[in-house]
Order: sequence, then C-alpha cells, then structure tokens
Amino acid sequence: MTITKTAVLTATLLAAGTGAALADWPTDRPIELIVAFAPGGGTDIMLRTLAPFLETELDAQFPVLNRPGASGEIAYTALSQARPDGYTVSSLNTPGFLTMQIGRKLRYDPADICPIARIVEDPGTFIVQAGSEYKSLTDLVAFAKANPGAVSVGTTGVGTDEHLAMLQLEQAAGIDLTAVPFGGANEAKTALLGGHVAMIGLNVGEYTTSDRSSFRALAQFAEQRSTLAPDLPTAKEQGFDVLMSSERGLAARCDVPEDIRAKLATAVDTALANPEFQEKAKQQALPLSFKSGKDWQADMPARLERFTEIFKMIEGGQ
Amino acid sequence: MTFVDLLFLGFSEAITPANLAFCLLGALLGTLIGVLPGIGPTATIAVLLPITFFLPPLAGIIMLSGIYYGAQYGGSTTAVLVNLPGEASAVVTTLDGYQMARQGRAGAALAVAALGSFFAGTVATFAIAVAGPTLSSFALSFGPAEYVSLMVFGLLAATILASGPVLKAIGMILIGLLLGMVGTDQATGAERLTFGAIELFDGIDFIVIAIGIFGFSEIIANLERTGSEGVKLAPLSRLWPTREDFHNSWAAVLRGTGIGTLLGLLPGGGATLASFSAYSLEKRVSKHPEKFGTGVVEGVAAPEAANNAAAQSSFIPLLTLGIPSNNMMAMMLSAFMIHGITPGPTVLTNQPEIFWGLVASMWIGNLLLVVINLPMIGLWVKLLTVPYRLLYPAILLFCCIGVYSMNNRIFDVILAAGFGLLGYAFRKAKCEPGPLLLGFVLGPLLESNLRRTLLITQGDPSIFVERPISLVMLIATVILLALMILPSFRRTREEAFQEEEA
Repeated sequence: MTITKTAVLTATLLAAGTGAALADWPTDRPIELIVAFAPGGGTDIMLRTLAPFLETELDAQFPVLNRPGASGEIAYTALSQARPDGYTVSSLNTPGFLTMQIGRKLRYDPADICPIARIVEDPGTFIVQAGSEYKSLTDLVAFAKANPGAVSVGTTGVGTDEHLAMLQLEQAAGIDLTAVPFGGANEAKTALLGGHVAMIGLNVGEYTTSDRSSFRALAQFAEQRSTLAPDLPTAKEQGFDVLMSSERGLAARCDVPEDIRAKLATAVDTALANPEFQEKAKQQALPLSFKSGKDWQADMPARLERFTEIFKMIEGGQ
Repeated sequence: MTFVDLLFLGFSEAITPANLAFCLLGALLGTLIGVLPGIGPTATIAVLLPITFFLPPLAGIIMLSGIYYGAQYGGSTTAVLVNLPGEASAVVTTLDGYQMARQGRAGAALAVAALGSFFAGTVATFAIAVAGPTLSSFALSFGPAEYVSLMVFGLLAATILASGPVLKAIGMILIGLLLGMVGTDQATGAERLTFGAIELFDGIDFIVIAIGIFGFSEIIANLERTGSEGVKLAPLSRLWPTREDFHNSWAAVLRGTGIGTLLGLLPGGGATLASFSAYSLEKRVSKHPEKFGTGVVEGVAAPEAANNAAAQSSFIPLLTLGIPSNNMMAMMLSAFMIHGITPGPTVLTNQPEIFWGLVASMWIGNLLLVVINLPMIGLWVKLLTVPYRLLYPAILLFCCIGVYSMNNRIFDVILAAGFGLLGYAFRKAKCEPGPLLLGFVLGPLLESNLRRTLLITQGDPSIFVERPISLVMLIATVILLALMILPSFRRTREEAFQEEEA
C-alpha cells in the first residue's frame, strides 16, 4: 500500500467517524442497548422483546448487552462513559437509579443521564411460600413484632425496590426484619422455595409470571390495585403505609442531540402502541405505562426526596 | 398418561423434520462455538434469542438447548489438542487430555471424551425424564448454609487437583480467592481491588483467566522450548482408544456422570464445578494418583462425562420449578417466556409436549453429537500435523477474538495477556494453575453464601452443624483433611524413629 493510499484511507475513516455520525443515525451502526440486569430478569426480557420492534421502527439494530451489578451503577457508569452519539442507550430503573444517589459516592454524575421514555410501571409485592402460615401482611407483622429480626427477607441488593419496601414496612409497622441480598430474583426465588428465607420481594409482574401454585403474595405496594393482580390487596388497604413501584424505561446521555433522543422516544411510543407488542407484553405480564422522558424526569426529584426521607428515618431510628 | 406414553409423545414431537433440523443446527452451532475459545454458549444464545421469536416455541428451545450441550462436546477438542480450554468446563480436560495428545493419543482422548459425554448425556436426560421433580427438591434443599459447606469441601478438594506439593497448591488457591474478590461487592456496592478501573466492576471473567493462564502461557512456553518448532509430538499411534483405555475409563465415566448430574442441579456452579469435582474424585479414588496430569485416560473421561451430565441436569430446576440455575438457563427462560410459556409444574401437566419434546430432543441431540464428532476426530487430529509456526498465530487470533467478543473491549484482551505472563511465571515456579481456577470459581460463592447464612441466623454459626446435608459435607471435609495430613504426619514420625534407631 502506498503512502497516498494509506492517507486517503485514513482520511475517509476519520471522516466516517466524525461528521457522518449524526447524519446517518441510526442506520450506519448498531445501537447498543445496555441492560443493567442479568439475562432472564424482568427488565432483560422486556427489552429483548421490545428490541425487534425498535429495530423495525428505526431501521437499525439493537444488540442487547447485559451489564449487571451494583444495582445498576455498572450500567449507568458505562452509559455515562459512552460517546454521546446516540449509539448507546441503557435501561433505566427506578428506584435503583434514585436511591444510589443517596449517601453513595458514584462513578457517574446522575445529572448526565436523561430518561428517554418510561415503558413499564410495576408495583412491588412480598411473596411467601404457598403453604406459609402468613396469609396477609398483618400475620407477618404480628410474627415479626414478637420475634425481632427473625423474619428474613430476600432482596436483590442494597437500595433496590424490595429493600426500600422492606424499610418502609419496618417503619410503618414498627418491626425489625433482616434483609438478605441475593444475586437476582431467581436466586431469591430458589431460596424461598427451599425455605431458606421467609419472604422475598418481587414485582407484581414477576409474581404473576411465576408458577402461581408455589407462591403466595401478601400485598402489593401501589396506591391502587394493579390490573395484573386485581385480587391482591394493597399494603395501604391492610393498614401499612408502604408505597413502592419499579419503573423501567430507557435512558441516554443528556448531551446526546435532542432530536436523536426525541426520535428514540417516538420509536418507543410507537412500538408500545403496536398490537403485536401489546400481545407479547400481555403474555409476559408487563404493565405498560408509557411516559415521555421529560415527564418522567420531572417526577424524579419528588421521589428522590421521599426515598431520602426513608433512609434518614431508618438511620435515625437505629 | 403413563411414562411410556409421555416418552412416546416426546419423541413424536422431537422427531418431526423441522424439530430434528433445529436440533441438528443447534448441535452443530454448539460444537463450533465450543471449539472456538472464548465464544461461549451464553453469548451465542443471547444473539440468537430474537430469532427464536419467529420459530414455534419447541423448535426454538430445542435449538438453543442444542447449542448449550453441543458446546460441552466441542469445548474438549481444543483442550486436548492445543491445551486451550474452549469452555470454562473444559479446563480440567487439558490436564491429562493435552498430555495424551503429546504422547500421540489425541484420537483416543477425543473419542473417550465424546463417548463419555454421550453416555453421561443419556443418563442425565433419563434422570430428567424419570426423576426431574425429585431431583429439583434436592436442589431446593441446598440453602446458603449447604453452599458454604460444599464450597469449603470443594476448596480443600482443590488441593488434590495439583500433582505437586500441597503448599504450592494452597498458595494457588489463595491467589484464586484473591482474584475472585475483584469487583463490586454484592452486599454493599463497595469496590474491591478494582484500582479504579471501571472494566473491573464486574470482576474478572473466568474465560480471561483461563485463556491467559492456559492458552497464552502454553504458547510462550513452546516458543521458548524449540524456537519455531513448537511441541514435539509422538507420532500418532492409533486413532481409536485401546481396549485398555475403555477398561480404565468406564468407572470414571460412571462416577463423573453421577457427580455431574447432582452438581448440575445447583444454581451457580453447574458444569464447571462438576468437571473440577469429578477430576478431583477420580484422582482421590485412583490406585495411581501420581500419574494424573501425565496423560491418564480417566482424567479425560471423568470431567467430560461430568460437564455434559451437568449441562443436561441444569435444565431440571428450570423445567420443573421455573427457576433458572445459571445465566444460560436464564436465557432459556427468556426463550420460553417470549412464547408466553412459564416453565414449572403447570407446564408439565398442561403442555406435556413441550417438556417431553425437549427431553426427547436432548437425547437425539446427544446421539447426533456423537455421530458428528466421532468422524471429525480424524480431521481434528490432523490439525496437530500443522507446523506450529502456522498453528500458534491462528490460536492466538482465535483467543483474542474470543476474549474481545465477550464484552467488546480491548481491556479484557490485555488482561488475558497479563495472565499469560503470570501463567508463564507459574510454570517456571512449577505451580499448577488448576487450584487457582477452582479458588476463583468457589471463592465468591463461599463469601456471598457465608454472609447470607449468618444474616439469616442473625450471626449464629450453629446452623452449619444443625442442617444434615451441611453437617455431612463438613464431616467429609474433616475426613479428607485427616487423610491428607495423617500420611505426612506418619512419615515424619517414621523418619524420627529411623533417626532414633540409627
């Protein structure tokens, strides 16, 4: 290869790498979809189901990359270090994204990450073995009052929705529970089925897609009963002020050009309206609840404040 | 329906031309990715998962499972031929398999691996069919406390893996434990030993260490030995195992199958733990443990049978309880869920054709794999006649592609190269890397389960002796420890007595 040829080639490559990026988006390269959880989890299955619809919508490829760990911090850090060219998006889950901002030194600046769209809002629930003596939250609270610390609650880590729901219940009922972190919902389910922990936290969606004959849900932590589980009383109905839902959506860096983020949000909105996707979402018990990135972001400060309060109350109590 | 009816239903589902074709496709793909180092079944299935949306549920699941157990067959090929484990579960196969290849018995090693795998796959498939629900209750009885005891036992057994001095083996285990701690702490989110590198957030990948310590260091060592000539191999004496090979390996295959079927049930460990344990057991019960590591056929037969049995039996918790036991099975769960099927007891009764069709296809797939693999042995072995100066750049290239493609980052390749240098240093110091890898696998499991146990019991350690399975394993650990210490104790005493007499 001659020097001129090399130079021409280099120049072409450089040009392709810089100027063309925005104009060709999203067709010239795959858009990496980072999932902050292990394969097989609720968020993972949801996004893997959604990806083909986004691909048709945007005529682009959406390869899924799982980066689990540290309640999502690993994925968010990876996102915040990606180039702001719209070729990297990540899953965004609350409350994890918010709670990690409380009293923890993060590798990324949460202000750098902007939601694109919310896809699902799924209330939390506590489940026990089908044959358990706890028939309601009241039964469990009564036992925990008599035996402080004896009720072990499987969670998927510090500051996750299950953990926060547990903290709220402790606060609301004046009891002491023991949180046991597991590697994921599946590990926790196995431990529950084997009787190694008394109760585990899940989302209503995850509960309804599990084998219903093995588990019993005690309460759901929503304001109103979820359409997925109309027969399951809320914690408030049972007299305990516990509110916790997990929201799942997509996010990108805030300095990704505005129109690219808008295109992504529209693609998500259109995909969610597609009857074919809705059918699949129904099979997986996904409580679809689209919210634009802007609206979702506007909700966050209030929720963050509430979680900060919970953390403070718990720390103050000990 | 009786058992025979159900089995018949399963075979009638699995034998349809389309399902048979997907089974073959999965098995072929699995063999291919098994042979290529670093490219694992989890990544492959993650890529192929969206394609299965468009297939009928059973066909998609049959293909994905074919990839999974096919990879267990393929992984042994490079382990035997070039000392490069294609899969994590094939690491121990290198210990004796590669030595056999150097003695001109590569064909025998590969044939024993394939036939042992087939036997193990058959047994484990029938275990799923006959005793699936029973076996899954065994898996459930394994709580955090049982894991702790199993891991303690496993770590002690890891010293058996090495044929050199025990002290060196312990040193290697400790390095493995240390490497296992790298990453984000599950319970607190704190970083450990990451040195500020975000690439180490998830910890170090097993493949990075295995390829570095086995693959890269092997190549460095060969370059040093003979310049560009590489390994001097004994001429290929015969392609097939001798009568003596069969005689020596059948019992090992049986034991490996048993261990693999049981350990495959447990979440987390799976095929890798099974192959390590089977090798350790074989060495323990052998009449000539000192020959392990020099090319004994049992050292290939046992772990290969175990990893294939474990690959099959890890389906049991998923199919009978709906709970995946490892990442691979979680991907399979996604494949089920995407078609609106929730695996579990209800599927067994409401959609028996799914469960039994899959079980039948697994056996057919294993049969196909033997048919594919046995004739290929001749071809694979010819690979050894390729001059080393041509072979090793190719191996290096595949290793790098494999390591890179795990997370699409160059950091992992550099890390693997670093482990290559470390592995070379270990060779020079005559330290064997087997125990290091086992420490690396078992350490994190031990730690997280110990924490869970003590959280659940609120700090009371008596649970370890109160729970029967845990107690049995702790007693076994003590016995094993005694067996290891007593002979050397006696020897010192004998030496002392001899000195007194003299």
